[in-house]
Amino acid sequence: MQAFLDIFDIYLLEAVINGILLGGVLALLALGLNLIFGVIDVTWICYAELVMIGMYAMYFMVQYYGLSYFIAAPLTILLVAILGAALHYLVIAPLLTAPPINQLLATGGVLFVLQSFATVAFGIDFRNLGIRLPVLAFGDMNFSYARLLSFLAALVGMVAVYLFMTRTFTGTAIRAISQDRQIMALMGVDTKRIYLVTSALGGALAGLAACLLVLQYDVHPFVGLSFGPITFLICVLGGLGNFIGGFIAAFVFAEIISLGGLFSDLEWGYVLAFAFFIVMMFIRPAGLLARRR
Amino acid sequence: MRLRMAARSVRGLLIAIAAMGLMASAEAQEKKIKIGVVFDLTGPLAGGGSELGYIGAKIILDHFAKTGVEGYRIEAVYADAQSKPDIAINESVRLLEQEKVDMVLGFFSSAQCVPVAARVEQLKKFMWMTTCISSAVFNEKGYKYVFRPQASGDQFGMMTMDFIAQNAKAKFDKEPKDLRVAIIHEDGAYGVDVSRGNEAGARKAGFNVVMKEGYSATAPDLSALVTKLKRAKPDVIFHTGYNPDITLLLRQAREQGLRFGALMGHGAGYGVYEKLKEGMGADATYIFNTDPISIWLANQKTMDPKLPPVIKMVGEEFDKLRPGVAIRSAHVGIGASNTYVFMSDVLPRAIKKYGGVDPDALRKAALDTDIPEGGTMLGFGVKFYGEGTPMAGQNERSFPVVIQYIDDKSSVVWPKSQAQREAVLPLPKGTTYSNQ
Repeated sequence: MQAFLDIFDIYLLEAVINGILLGGVLALLALGLNLIFGVIDVTWICYAELVMIGMYAMYFMVQYYGLSYFIAAPLTILLVAILGAALHYLVIAPLLTAPPINQLLATGGVLFVLQSFATVAFGIDFRNLGIRLPVLAFGDMNFSYARLLSFLAALVGMVAVYLFMTRTFTGTAIRAISQDRQIMALMGVDTKRIYLVTSALGGALAGLAACLLVLQYDVHPFVGLSFGPITFLICVLGGLGNFIGGFIAAFVFAEIISLGGLFSDLEWGYVLAFAFFIVMMFIRPAGLLARRR
Repeated sequence: MRLRMAARSVRGLLIAIAAMGLMASAEAQEKKIKIGVVFDLTGPLAGGGSELGYIGAKIILDHFAKTGVEGYRIEAVYADAQSKPDIAINESVRLLEQEKVDMVLGFFSSAQCVPVAARVEQLKKFMWMTTCISSAVFNEKGYKYVFRPQASGDQFGMMTMDFIAQNAKAKFDKEPKDLRVAIIHEDGAYGVDVSRGNEAGARKAGFNVVMKEGYSATAPDLSALVTKLKRAKPDVIFHTGYNPDITLLLRQAREQGLRFGALMGHGAGYGVYEKLKEGMGADATYIFNTDPISIWLANQKTMDPKLPPVIKMVGEEFDKLRPGVAIRSAHVGIGASNTYVFMSDVLPRAIKKYGGVDPDALRKAALDTDIPEGGTMLGFGVKFYGEGTPMAGQNERSFPVVIQYIDDKSSVVWPKSQAQREAVLPLPKGTTYSNQ
C-alpha cells in the first residue's frame, strides 16, 4: 500500500496536469504549422523563428513603447500574419512547383536569415517581458496561469480553425486545394489568393503562440531551437494537415515527456517521447488518426 | 668620369639603404604574435556570459596591442564559436592553419574546451583557456601545450558544499547527515563536472543527497524536474546551468510552488546578475554563486600593487562599452585577468628566456609560471601542474569563492578569509522560495 501511495501521490497528479498544460503550448505551436503543411504542402522549417520574431515584437511593444499587453498582442498577431504572407510571396510561391528538397532548403535558409537578423538587430541578450502572472494553487499543487492561457488559446484556436475550415467558403477552398492543387484552379478558385490567405493565417497562429510563449520564456535569437524540432514531430505524429491529430499528438507527446521525466531522469522523458514517435512511424506512418487502408 | 663614378656610388648607397630598410622591415614584421581568440558571440552561450568574457579578454589584448610585449607586436584575430562545439573546433583549426596564429586563447564553454584542447594538442600548438572549467579537459590526458589558469569545475562543486557544510549547524540547525541536498545540472561537460565536485563534497560532508539529476540546457520544459524537487523537499539546491535554463527553472519553480532554504549557483548563468534580475526580479536576491572572485571585489590591499590600476582600467573600458550595469559580471574579470596573466607573465618570459613565441617556447614559459597568491586580479596565484601529473596544464593555485547577491550588490561570503559579509542563510521568511 505504501509503495502504491509513494507513486500515486499528489505530485503524480501535478505532473499529469503539467503535461496537459505543456501539451497546450505544443498544440498551439503545431496548429499554424499544420495548416501550412496540410494546404500548401511546404515545410516551413523556419516556423519557430516566426514565433521568435513575434516574441521580440511583444517585448519591444510592451517594454520599450509601453503598450499594454492587450494592445500589443493583436498588433503582434497582425505583424506575424503579414510576415507569413510575405514569406509565401517572396520565398515559397516561386518554388511551389520545385522539388520538395528545394523548398525545404529555401525555408531552412530563411531560418538562418531570421536568426542572424535577430542577432544583429536585437543582440544576443535574453530579454524578459517582465510580466508575472499569478499562480493557481490547489493544496500542494500549483499551476501557471501563463500555461493555462496557452492551453485555452490552443483549444479555442483549434475550434476556430476547424470552424473556419468547415463553415466558410475560403476554408472549404483551402481544404479543396490541399486535396488537389491543380484541379481547383480549373474550377475557378484563385489559388494564389488562397495560398496567401493560408500563409497569413499560419503566420497569425505563430503570432498568437508568440504572445503566449513570451509570458513563459525569455526571448533570444535562438529560442526557436527549443521548439522547432518538437513542433515538427508533433505535426508528423498527428498526420500532416490533420488538426485534431496534431492536437492529440501534442498532448500525447507532452504527457510522455512529463511522466517519463517524473519517473526517470528528465532526459528520459524526451528519449521516450522520441522513441514513441519512431515506433508510431512504423505502425501508423500517416499519423495517429490516419484511417487504415 | 668622376661624375659618373659619384653617381654610381650614390646609387649603390641608395640600394644598400633600401636593402637595409627592407631587412629591418622584415625583422619588424617577424616580431609579432598572432593570437586567435575564440568565444561565443552568437547563440545561447553568448548571452549566458561568453560575450562578457570576450569583452574582458579584448580589453587586455587591446591594451597590450598599444604597447607591444618585449618588442613584439600583438595582433588578435577573433572568431565566433556560435555556442557550438563543432564550430569551436573548426574555427580553432582555421585560425591555426589558415590564419597562421601562434596560439589560441579564450573558450567559454566546457563542451567546447574538451574537444578543442584535444585537437590543438594533436596539432602541437599552444592553447590558453581563460574561462571554461571542466576538469575533463585535463584529467589523465597528459597534454603538453594546453594551459588553464582558471579554477576547475570540481573545485566549484566542492567549494559550495564546503560552505554549506560549515554553516549547516549554525544556520539550518541541522547535523550534516540530516541536511537534505539536491544536485541538479545541465548535462554538458560543465554541469557534469561541477556536479561531480558537488557529489564528492556532499559525501565528504555527510549530507543526505535526496536528488541528483541532469537535464538538457535547451529543454523547453523543466516542470517535471520541479515536481521531483518538490517531492524530494531539499533544504539546499546545488544548481549548475547556463541561461536561459536557469530562468526557466526558477520561473517554473515559482509557479509550481517549490520551496527551499538556499540556492547555490555555480558560475555561467549565475555569474550574470543583470540577467537573473531581469528574469526573476526581486527573487534574484539571496541567490549564491560560485566563481573566481570578481576583480572589482578582490582585496586590493593584499594584491600585487601593479594590478589595481589595471583593474581600474578594465572597469572604465567595460563601462564605456556597457554603461549603467549594476553589477559588473565576474566573467569580464575572468576573461581580463586570465588574459593578463598570459600577456604580462608568460609571453615576456617566452620571448626573453626561450627566444620567441613558438609553441615550445610558450609551453616552457607557461611551465615556469610561479605567481604567488595575490599576484593576479582574481586573487589567486598561478602555478601549473607539471608534465606527468594527472592534471598537467591546470593551475594548482586557483580557487573560486562563494558570493551572495543582496540588494543589487554581490558580496563574497566564503571562504572566511575573503568574506566581506555574513551570508543570509536560509532564505528569509516571506521570500518567494523560502521554506521557513
